Amino acid sequence: MPGYYESKMIEDEFLKWKFKRGSREALARIYEKYVHSLLSLAMGLLNDPNEAEDVVQDMFVSFAQSADSFRLKGSLRAYLATSVVNRARDRLRRRYSLNRRMDKYATAPPDASEADKPLVYGEQCEQISHALAELPCEQREAVVLKVKQNMTLRQIAKLQGVSISTAHGRYRYGLDKLRALLDGEIGP
Amino acid sequence: MKDERKLQNIIDRELDVRAGDRTYNRMRQIVLDAHESSKQKPSAARLTITRRLTMRKQMIKFAAAGVIIAVVILGLFEIIDTDNKSGIVLADVVRKVETSRGVIYRETHANNDPKYTIIHLSPTKYRSEGYQSGELWITMYEDRAERKRVVLLHQQKGYVKEEMRLTEEDQRILTNLMNPAKWVENFQSCDYRELGQKTIEGVLCEGFETTDPAFIGVDVPPELKLKIDSLVAHLWVSVETGYPVLLEDEATVSGKTSFESFDQFQWDVELEPSVFEPNIPPDYEQM
Repeated sequence: MPGYYESKMIEDEFLKWKFKRGSREALARIYEKYVHSLLSLAMGLLNDPNEAEDVVQDMFVSFAQSADSFRLKGSLRAYLATSVVNRARDRLRRRYSLNRRMDKYATAPPDASEADKPLVYGEQCEQISHALAELPCEQREAVVLKVKQNMTLRQIAKLQGVSISTAHGRYRYGLDKLRALLDGEIGP
Repeated sequence: MKDERKLQNIIDRELDVRAGDRTYNRMRQIVLDAHESSKQKPSAARLTITRRLTMRKQMIKFAAAGVIIAVVILGLFEIIDTDNKSGIVLADVVRKVETSRGVIYRETHANNDPKYTIIHLSPTKYRSEGYQSGELWITMYEDRAERKRVVLLHQQKGYVKEEMRLTEEDQRILTNLMNPAKWVENFQSCDYRELGQKTIEGVLCEGFETTDPAFIGVDVPPELKLKIDSLVAHLWVSVETGYPVLLEDEATVSGKTSFESFDQFQWDVELEPSVFEPNIPPDYEQM
């Protein structure tokens, strides 16, 4: 039984149920469960670790404050991902309106340990993130949401306000372009 | 297609960003602080708050990690630790309670606590009635098969109907957490010692004690995994019927001590379906 206790994974419905009732533990678990995948999503969308961190933090703070009004019948994972996407879009709009282009990552001091770095990611992650930044926003979203968040084309279509076939096209074109951009750049 | 799958795998694997330890902890604290501060804000919807507070009682049964299961009030009874060997075998008690058709019991959280809850439990249905200073203030019905819950708040003359959106596995955990038969089974799976005999409410009982933290850790989901500093749980079983009469424990979790006591058991009762049928007075409004 203790082994079972250790390994039992809580389902999202259970977390939603408790979070809705003010459970701090449920919120902490949701954070622990999703923070890294949402950071990866935000990085894929924004190609900037600082902005990715800001977006994910803002999203979680807003989520934490929403317990009273929280009503969600669908997937918690998709809900959080959608919240990140919406915030990332705002960031991108602001970024473009300032005609500012982020060419490089802010990096931690060279002697910083892994634990001291705000975000930790590998070289290939940077390459993929750079390549994703070359895609049109809609294609980038479709690729990252499908591959990293396991969202269905139907979910992506709904999020983007387009038909499923359009979402599928964006995903396909995005993936094709990404393949060309990354050709020979990253390992098997 | 193969190339596509390969590329997907690479993206999935390599587009991996993790928060450094400090960032992770800082963000986590900010998020939890935001949650805490939002809870302290007064809400316009008083009834909503009432509901939340009400439902928190239900939630506490999870969040206290096992506090659902029993707690002993130390010193509540004089424990007579004799050399008598118990004539009751816990395995037999487990078998008896497992086959109990329905059970009714009372739950309290402190000695002479004016708040208490009466629970009616069948294999698939649950009804609890919360009393405060002798007055009924909440009734909760759960139909685990239909996954429906109805909560009546009597002071507010309101009720809430909601769907229990749990997976089968989570439902099983919830059911176990609320099932005294499961507590007895958990007790038996821990290291325990015999306490000898004593009379409780006029019933001659034999007692058992465990200090095994696993007693409140069994079958609790990992997100609720807590640091259990200490635990003492006592189970008293009727010599005559072989059914539990009292189950209590005192647990200190992360420095905080909790108490719960379960008594007034009626085991193996046939609970009429009407017991679990939500009885909503006509003047109550949906909240």
